[in-house]
Amino acid sequence: MSRWFTQFRLTLRSVFNRECVDRELDEEFQDHLQREIEERLKSGLEPEAARYAALRAIGAIAKSKEESRDARRVNFIDDVLRDLRYSSRSMRRSPGFAALAVLIMALGIGANTAVFSVVNAVLLRPLSYRDPDRIVTLSTRVTKTDSTQASLDEQISIPNFQDWHDQSSSFEAMAYYNGREIPATAGATAEYARGTQVGPEFFQVFDVEPVLGHFFTTEEGKPGSGGAAMISYAYWQSHFAADPRALGQTIRIYGRPMPIVGVLPPGFRFPDDTDLWVPRNISPEDMKYRGGQNWLAVGRLKPGVPLESAQAEMTIIARRLEQQYPDANKDRTVGIKRLRDKMVGDIRLTLYLLLSAVSLVLLIACANTATLLLGKATARTREVAMRAALGASRGRIVRQLITESFLLALLAGASGLLLAYWGSAALVALAPAGLPRLTEVGVDRWVLAFTVGVSILTSLLFGLVPAMYASKIDLNEALKQSAAKSVIGGGIIRMRGLLVVGEIAMAVMLLSGSALLIKSFIALHRVALGFRPENVLVMRATIPAAGTPATAKFFQDLLPKVRRTPGVLSAGATMAPPGHIESSGGYFVDHLPPQPDWTSAPNVVLSVVAPGTLAALAIPLKAGRDFSEADTAERPLVALVNESLVQRSFPGQNPIGRTVFCPYDTLQGMTIIGVTGDVRQSGPAGEPMPECYMTYRQHPFNGNTLSIVARTAADPNTLIATLRRLAQETSPDVPMKFTTMDAMLSENVAAPRFRTLLLGIFAGLAVCLAMAGVYGVMAFAVTQRSNEIGLRMALGASSGSVLRLILRQGLICASLGLALGLAAAVAGTRLLTSMLFQVQPNDPWVYLAVAVLLGVVTLLASYVPARRAARIDPLTALRQE
Amino acid sequence: MSKPTDLVQGTLDLLILKTVALEPMHGWAIAHRIHQMSSEVLQVGQSALYPALHKLEQQGWIEAEWKISETNRRAKYYSLTPAGRKALTAEAANWERLSGAISAIVRTG
Repeated sequence: MSRWFTQFRLTLRSVFNRECVDRELDEEFQDHLQREIEERLKSGLEPEAARYAALRAIGAIAKSKEESRDARRVNFIDDVLRDLRYSSRSMRRSPGFAALAVLIMALGIGANTAVFSVVNAVLLRPLSYRDPDRIVTLSTRVTKTDSTQASLDEQISIPNFQDWHDQSSSFEAMAYYNGREIPATAGATAEYARGTQVGPEFFQVFDVEPVLGHFFTTEEGKPGSGGAAMISYAYWQSHFAADPRALGQTIRIYGRPMPIVGVLPPGFRFPDDTDLWVPRNISPEDMKYRGGQNWLAVGRLKPGVPLESAQAEMTIIARRLEQQYPDANKDRTVGIKRLRDKMVGDIRLTLYLLLSAVSLVLLIACANTATLLLGKATARTREVAMRAALGASRGRIVRQLITESFLLALLAGASGLLLAYWGSAALVALAPAGLPRLTEVGVDRWVLAFTVGVSILTSLLFGLVPAMYASKIDLNEALKQSAAKSVIGGGIIRMRGLLVVGEIAMAVMLLSGSALLIKSFIALHRVALGFRPENVLVMRATIPAAGTPATAKFFQDLLPKVRRTPGVLSAGATMAPPGHIESSGGYFVDHLPPQPDWTSAPNVVLSVVAPGTLAALAIPLKAGRDFSEADTAERPLVALVNESLVQRSFPGQNPIGRTVFCPYDTLQGMTIIGVTGDVRQSGPAGEPMPECYMTYRQHPFNGNTLSIVARTAADPNTLIATLRRLAQETSPDVPMKFTTMDAMLSENVAAPRFRTLLLGIFAGLAVCLAMAGVYGVMAFAVTQRSNEIGLRMALGASSGSVLRLILRQGLICASLGLALGLAAAVAGTRLLTSMLFQVQPNDPWVYLAVAVLLGVVTLLASYVPARRAARIDPLTALRQE
Repeated sequence: MSKPTDLVQGTLDLLILKTVALEPMHGWAIAHRIHQMSSEVLQVGQSALYPALHKLEQQGWIEAEWKISETNRRAKYYSLTPAGRKALTAEAANWERLSGAISAIVRTG
């Protein structure tokens, strides 16, 4: 370390204290000479002769001094400083050019930095918990790949969890949890809050300490105790004004008063922005149903235990449990993932897609700047030739030109950082709500390092080619040219042509990818959903379990009032509005086997609805009847099934009057009274699955959270105030939340919209840059060839033929670029397959459209210079010679 | 016959390091000492000596100090740094190996 410091000090001294160093060098040489002379005097020579002999013996002093100076690396640094001064002078001389180049590169670098800042926050930066790499998730994994079972994946059952917890030794702590929107009353009004029930070791997993109060005691977690709640720092601030006296106050959760025992530190909101945590210890009741996968689990690995060995241990335990409890655990094992990987999930692919798209944009920007610099190199041929003639080595000239690019890139990097600052804010605003860790997006030292690195790299990319060219200039030729008309060999024109071909090819790739995503996005919007989403108001409400009798009958009382409201055409209520699945499970028809094997039964989506829901959502009733208010708990259980279920279980038969068994809240058979059309339950991208509808009066307990769906005559948002008033009149204890069916669907396609929009923007940017490149190259070629064109016209060429001559050149560039780009796109867009909906990555129409679009745009970009060429006045052009 | 330019690249560095390992010395004395120690075979001119000295100083293997010499003039004295001592050991071992190998070949002729 001290050695580096010594070197650094010496270098600094050599550079900034040059005179002193030179004086010392002189003195040192003088001393040497003196000693040589003395040596010779001693051997008896005359003083004059001794001096002469000594000088001859030690040779050229000036050269040695220069070499000694070189050994101190003074010259190198001097050169760099001189190059920098020279570069900034030459940039000030042509500010327009410099501004254009900086702008182009700033766009490229800024876009890259913005995307990287998101990638950095979401994918790269460790989670802000203590030893985040030791925190893992545990989930049930279905080993048999059968798509109907897929929705059972991930969640776990408490009895299995208990065995994992007791039998494993890899974990310091392990906890189950389950978070949802819960009705909570901290002040006067009931509202929704994110609440999570947690197992005893939950907070040990994250190794957090409360900022106020204490964690749950064992006593507080027991059933029948007074209960307890921990609140988030944010909730403490918003609902209790950060008053320490919040401890001991109560929050009513599901109507039950819970005393607040602690406040968590700022930033801790796991999972999903949780505000309230309540303890949930295992009761004997919980241990009964091993198949009930309703929980998620996290664990903290012991220090030094690698993920793989924990996974190996859990696999063995899972295999044992599979043999022990085949009815619940057949084809089930445990999957362990790092929490971060789990949180990031499928967004990883989208982000990598965006990062590669945006780096293509940067490459195009580099190529563009390189063509600009090549053009400039032409103009500077004489200057460079003069320097070479005066003795500058090739390396020195290249270094000078690279320094210029470097300065350009640094300026662009600084402006790009500014752009990225706004850009990443825009990205965050556009991003789908499910994108984790968005609040952490920002410019940190890694993003800074990235920008600096990218700037340096790009300066080499766009600077090296022009610099190599400039250094190869034929001195004789260049110096012979007149100042007005410096000519460059075909080399530079060809090089610029190649760069433009590359730009077009990359633009084609981006455009193809973007076009595929757009087509897929349109398909997503065109797909038959099975219901009509427009003009539907959705009001989610939850009846607290312990309420007044009026509260218990909330939906029964409210629905008729809603239906009578002017502007409401029809209304119903459903546990899960189409777009997400609330509950699913296996089912049997006709009769239930004595020992049902639920793990291999076909899967069915379970929905609790109120009568009138089908009409409100415009789900067609294909046969039979809808539920009615007469289907009460006292009456025989009835059910509606969809066409997918009929096709699967009653092919070619009449299902009405048959029986279906679903393990929702009862194993009693339900008589099928009607058949509905299929609805895409998990959003536009998912195929319809078999579905079984039940009525809310026959399943009251699990129907305590329903979304009222009201089809309205006009904009549904105008009815929010009215419905809120009606609901509060019916019961003040019920929290509610409004949205529209359209908004919910739009959330469903938020991720595809995000990537489609961004890729579209990048593709647009790429096309613009590529076209600017085409225009620049063609305009340059026209200027270079104005003599030749003038001559042609003087010899009788029509302006039409000149036009065609120039356009042909543009077309050659375009078709080469198209061919290359399409080939690369066909290969590259395969990676998009998982993001495409009803579109194949090799869709010929998409590529045709891309080819036509780019062809036309390229022609346009070359048309302007071509017309200028056609208008060249032969006399003027020839006189310039 | 041995002009300094004939010295194998890096050998001069080794000679300098070895010489200043004994005591701090100024440039002329280093050249002189090498000349003496090599029984007047090796002659190091200033054109090779000073660039080498400045390079070694820049590398942090030797350090320089201005002192008053025995002739009562200011002279720049070079001495070995700890890093230089390590480098000397490594270079010397390397040289032993190399010269041993070369001698072995030359003798078999």
